[in-house]
Amino acid sequence: MIRLQNIEKVYRTDTIETLALNSVSLDVAKGEFLSIMGPSGCGKSTLLNIMGLLDVPSKGSIKIADRVTENLNDKQLAQFRNKTLGFIFQSYHLINDLQVLDNVELPLLYRDTTAKERKMLATEALEKVGLANRVKHFPTQLSGGQRQRVAIARAIVGKPDIILADEPTGNLDSAMGNEIMDILINLNRNEGTTIVMVTHDENMAHKTHRLVRLFDGSQVQ
Amino acid sequence: MFKHLFKLIWNKKKQNFLLMTEMLVSFMVLFAVFTLMVYYYDNYKKPMGFKYQDVWVINISNAYQTKNTDSLDLYYETLRKIIKALPQVQELSFVSGNTPFSQQINEGGLTYKGKHIEHLNNFTGEDSYKDALQVEVLEGRWFNKQDAVSKYRSVVIDADLKEATFGKGQAVGKLLGNDDDKNKMKVVGVIQTIKRNGDYVKPGPGIYYRADTGSFRWLNKILVRVSPGADAAFEGRLYKTMANYMKNSNIEIEHLTNKLKDTNYFAVIPMIILSIVSCFLIINVALGLFGVLWYNINKRKGEIGLRRAIGATGNSVSSQLVMESMILATLSLIIGSFFAIQFPLLNVFNLQAHIYIIGMLLSIIFVYLLVLVCSLYPGRQAAAIYPAVALHEE
Repeated sequence: MIRLQNIEKVYRTDTIETLALNSVSLDVAKGEFLSIMGPSGCGKSTLLNIMGLLDVPSKGSIKIADRVTENLNDKQLAQFRNKTLGFIFQSYHLINDLQVLDNVELPLLYRDTTAKERKMLATEALEKVGLANRVKHFPTQLSGGQRQRVAIARAIVGKPDIILADEPTGNLDSAMGNEIMDILINLNRNEGTTIVMVTHDENMAHKTHRLVRLFDGSQVQ
Repeated sequence: MFKHLFKLIWNKKKQNFLLMTEMLVSFMVLFAVFTLMVYYYDNYKKPMGFKYQDVWVINISNAYQTKNTDSLDLYYETLRKIIKALPQVQELSFVSGNTPFSQQINEGGLTYKGKHIEHLNNFTGEDSYKDALQVEVLEGRWFNKQDAVSKYRSVVIDADLKEATFGKGQAVGKLLGNDDDKNKMKVVGVIQTIKRNGDYVKPGPGIYYRADTGSFRWLNKILVRVSPGADAAFEGRLYKTMANYMKNSNIEIEHLTNKLKDTNYFAVIPMIILSIVSCFLIINVALGLFGVLWYNINKRKGEIGLRRAIGATGNSVSSQLVMESMILATLSLIIGSFFAIQFPLLNVFNLQAHIYIIGMLLSIIFVYLLVLVCSLYPGRQAAAIYPAVALHEE
């Protein structure tokens, strides 16, 4: 589903050159639930951003869903992200000025869908994460776990093939973290969604199919 | 997308309130400036109604006084002959004090078929008035000797009064005055409205009465049309000639060309002041808008990154910010237009409705352009934000 070959990422400033990823190659199979672990600053999020086409590697090639992504222009990249990828972030990235339902509808705004379809799909996604009764709430009125569930609903509303989760349980206590993890496992199991998750939590990582460890930008496991 | 953005703005109405107020105030000031400009332009493009070049105004005060009308008549007829005998004088006419471009006014009212016309300018001129000012006769004729013996008092009206009373129909031969009015006046001619208040200010309707022999008691001005080459030396000669004849009188000669310049200058001053005020306000709004949008981009980097991640292109992020500003402007303009439309509806300053409407449309276009220009650059900056960086900063 995802094939990364010899990915290298270098951050350059006027005086310093930092190697964030060093020749990382990774294959993620369709329907796999993969977790990436490593200490802070080892390049986990950079790798996830490159997989999500939010960042470009300095070297190497990326193939996602049988599509080489290097030569896609801004519009094609946006469409690809919209239809193929779903994102979940540690800090949720919900828009506080929009109600839960509107937040979940967001990815569908960049597709050719009617308001009725958007509402139906968003309600369906919220039902899957158990928040059907919170559609009119604003994110600030929800707990951390509920916010992350809204973020999951937003990630799955467009029925993407791949979900990229950057420390989805990082801001939550263990009980809420487990709840979120259960939702992701169910998604993977029941819908066959490929999930790549960055985490610091060994327990969470062990619930996934495979664990990849990074250290100083290189893959060590 | 529009509904989505409207929702976003509505939910942030407290944050947007000040910016909207600023846009609203700018619109109102611009509305005043543009309305004034349209009003001035509307008057400017109208014909002057006469040829003011080479016309001098002679003001006479403390002139010869006698109770004997015949003596008075003889005195002024002699003066007329003396002036007319001068080589460069083409025509002259004794007139009432409210000559073109003077500060004097003589206003009254008139009722015609139940319709009352207010601020009607009354003028008195002689038969030679038409040639002295070279007024444009649109219908009928100017006064002549026949008018001294007609059954009804003859009057000449200008185009504005004709429109107010007879509309597009014929005016010559019709009687002016209310149905119960015993002293009705007969219209013998219609002239082009003379822009007596200068190029920019609307003159208002005018009615002209024929001067008779008794009028010399109060006709204290003479309009003199001179040859194009008449210079200061001739002006001096004219002054001396008159001073010799009119002992103890104060005589002052002015040129209509100079008087027009002065009149225009005083008309334009309020517009200049208002324009300067609005310029400062526009700069203020532009900087405010620019600053708010810039601040928004920095504050909303996470949102921008998120939108890019879930499918927005750089251009759609940019156009979203521009559209948000435009929606805010639209909301301000709707409120502003509600107030602005009251001016023509309530006829606040007695201006024609189309002047307000054009002023309003120009203000709307200007505000939209201002908002667009101020949003474009911040919008482009937002589009250039790299999603991974924006999401990381949040």
